[in-house]
Amino acid sequence: MLVIRRRAGESILIADGIEIEILETASRHVKLGIKAPKSVSVLRKEVRLTQDHNLAAAQAIPLDLLGEALARFQAKPANGRPAHNSLNPAPPPPISRL
Amino acid sequence: MPQCDTKYFGTIAYDAHAVIEFPAGLAAFEQCRRFLPVEDAGRQPLLFLQSLEDARLCFITVPVLAVDPGYTLKMSGEDLAQLGRDKLPAIGPEALCLAIVAMADGAPAANLLAPIVVDLVSRRAVQSIRDDTAYSCRHPLAPVPEAAPCS
Repeated sequence: MLVIRRRAGESILIADGIEIEILETASRHVKLGIKAPKSVSVLRKEVRLTQDHNLAAAQAIPLDLLGEALARFQAKPANGRPAHNSLNPAPPPPISRL
Repeated sequence: MPQCDTKYFGTIAYDAHAVIEFPAGLAAFEQCRRFLPVEDAGRQPLLFLQSLEDARLCFITVPVLAVDPGYTLKMSGEDLAQLGRDKLPAIGPEALCLAIVAMADGAPAANLLAPIVVDLVSRRAVQSIRDDTAYSCRHPLAPVPEAAPCS
């Protein structure tokens, strides 16, 4: 990994047309300004991770494979605390039970 | 009573009031807005979120508190606005907080980085991606098998 030390107000250029400017630094965060062509996708990494996870989750999951995890939940119901799996705050039904 | 085709349970009838709506869809599925939560008695605490727009799409979810009883919610103002709220809902009485399950390297894992928050009053939902690194997007649901010792 390339490591570059920069201060607020300084920039980094990547390829043709991508500029990342350090706008502000604080003890726990850095604010970046990003200039890039419209064709370049700019995403927070956690958004991409979640997209990938959702795409994997949309594939068929062999329910039997979840058995071991389920057995663990049933044996230890969330340390005795309710798991809050209810869709009904007060009034009736709204959940489809098979 | 309306009916829908589902990915795991064939055709089922459902209560129209049970439907939840994601005004912004879900990451990578922004066009999918309406889902039906389905509970299978033998598979609790899992909750299946069946798309009403695409029968082939069904997310398997688990309540975050079942995975991590100490889980604390963190949502952006934008995500709260999707639910029609201005402050964090309480998990349980006000909102259902679910983690989507997917297979990761052959084992089921839950995304605690981006839980689904369902407002129990408005029945609107959002997949709220955290901006911190407190939780993993691949939290293992089953104990990780120990690596075989080298011989």
